[in-house]
Amino acid sequence: MIQVKGLTRRYGNLAAVSDLSFSVSEGEIIGFLGPNGAGKTTTMNMITGCLRATAGTVTVDGADIETDADRARKIIGYLPENPPLYPDMTVDEYLEFVYQLKKCTLPYTEHLTGICDMAGLSDVRGRLIRNLSKGYRQRVGLAQALIGDPKVLILDEPTVGLDPRQIIEIREVIRSLGQKHTVILSSHILPEVQEICDRILVIDHGKIVADGTPAQLSERVEGAEQLNMTIEGEPAAVLGVLRAIPGVSEAVVTVEDGMKCVYRITAESGADIRRAVFDALSQHRLAILSMQQVELSLEDIFLELTGAEPAPEQTISTDETQPEASKQKKKRRLFGRKRGDDK
Amino acid sequence: MNAIRKRDTQGFFRSPLGYVYTGAFLTIMNLYFFAICVLSSSSDTGSVFSNMLIVFLFLMPILTMRLFSEEYKQGTDRLLLTAPVSVWEIVGGKFLATISVLLVALACTLPWIVIIAIFGEPAWASIIGCYIAVLCASAVFAAMGMFLSSLTESQLIAAVLSFALFLGLYIADMLSYSFDSDSLLGAVLSWLSIFTRYDSFMSGQFSLGNLIYFLSLTGLFLYLTARVLERRRL
Repeated sequence: MIQVKGLTRRYGNLAAVSDLSFSVSEGEIIGFLGPNGAGKTTTMNMITGCLRATAGTVTVDGADIETDADRARKIIGYLPENPPLYPDMTVDEYLEFVYQLKKCTLPYTEHLTGICDMAGLSDVRGRLIRNLSKGYRQRVGLAQALIGDPKVLILDEPTVGLDPRQIIEIREVIRSLGQKHTVILSSHILPEVQEICDRILVIDHGKIVADGTPAQLSERVEGAEQLNMTIEGEPAAVLGVLRAIPGVSEAVVTVEDGMKCVYRITAESGADIRRAVFDALSQHRLAILSMQQVELSLEDIFLELTGAEPAPEQTISTDETQPEASKQKKKRRLFGRKRGDDK
Repeated sequence: MNAIRKRDTQGFFRSPLGYVYTGAFLTIMNLYFFAICVLSSSSDTGSVFSNMLIVFLFLMPILTMRLFSEEYKQGTDRLLLTAPVSVWEIVGGKFLATISVLLVALACTLPWIVIIAIFGEPAWASIIGCYIAVLCASAVFAAMGMFLSSLTESQLIAAVLSFALFLGLYIADMLSYSFDSDSLLGAVLSWLSIFTRYDSFMSGQFSLGNLIYFLSLTGLFLYLTARVLERRRL
């Protein structure tokens, strides 16, 4: 459905996107994942024809975005990062304008009612966009992209600025859209793309660093690397025990609290040390109050992938109310491995 | 193109700006009409209309400043650029919207003609010529203002730039009088001057050359605006 070949965008000497190539097949929901400034929006702007590529081509359903722009644009519905709304119009007036602008030939009343129902706008159709909350504006933006029933939907951070309930609703909408449309969405929130998308493209510094289904990507990152643990016992003794465990490369105290300190244990790469830690501590009758795998945020993963220094300190969210020793693995991490380990 | 024209025309009257604009224009022009025609019992609309362009010189930047600057600011230019319309349709739609507002303002001056027709004998040819001339000349201003608006995200900068340009043109026109019309500079300035050509319309002479000059100048700035829009994608 979408073919992107060698897409490059330069601003002066700075390459915002360099030599990006991928293709998306019909009905696929694909997620661009990357930190801010990775080139996600630039890529989307180029796919929609908003921005001209320095080099490379984009073909949408056989229509080149440069040479066959009119046909390609009719196939694409685009929701930019800031929804392109006119605050002085009502929702109905705005959608009517977009309907005419896109030279849509579908039956007007039916089409718009359908879209408003889907985007949850039926109650606010007569209101001025200026007076709508951020969540509703986002929905109007989504409704705008849906007008004309485009085969391809490009959504730039569709859930940004929404409250949790709205995020879930929008995700539902996107998932249902995926049955009829090809969707490209971008996000810097890992669980989000993991949940909605059939396939994930990880972009950093304008390059694709990983490409695959969520399952494929998580296969690459089995095993623990860092643990946050609350252990009851004399810190010196605990540290001695921890450092003696094979596979542990480092153990430090991160929160001092008398006999109940919080420790950060780093494993040698690839090793799952959780069982070994449990065995060693129970042997020395040191109670584990909590154990948690450090979830790498996307930023950290990128820092790892790009070989930079990791973030100095992470927020520790140990569950202090849970007294008995518990092993818990909250969420599976994606591609948390150091660069070069897996290839 | 029609969708954009409609939205922009309506957009103008959604805010108080449209009404204030028309109101200010009519207040000033009616004072002129009262002073020139009513008080001296004259049917010489040409003198009223020759002042109209000066009024437009001040008011046109307010009309054109928002055309593109506002779109850039709101991010709605994305919507227009990704819609299946060409830059020509965008530029054309916005230009026609501006002209529509001008037509509304001009239509409000029609009672003058009625008043003259009741109390005297209107010179129909001259009146029609005046309306055509003011429309052509203000179309040039509109195209110039729109071009400057397409260059910047700030409405204020767009307005100041257009105002400076219009005033500069006006001063160039005044300079052309102080130079000898035999000298090259004087001849060039007066040939280029919108106001000189406009005044020759007002005095009742219809000239195809002047009409072509206005139309091609308008076309030039519409073309430049379209080029700017295309450049923005680069």
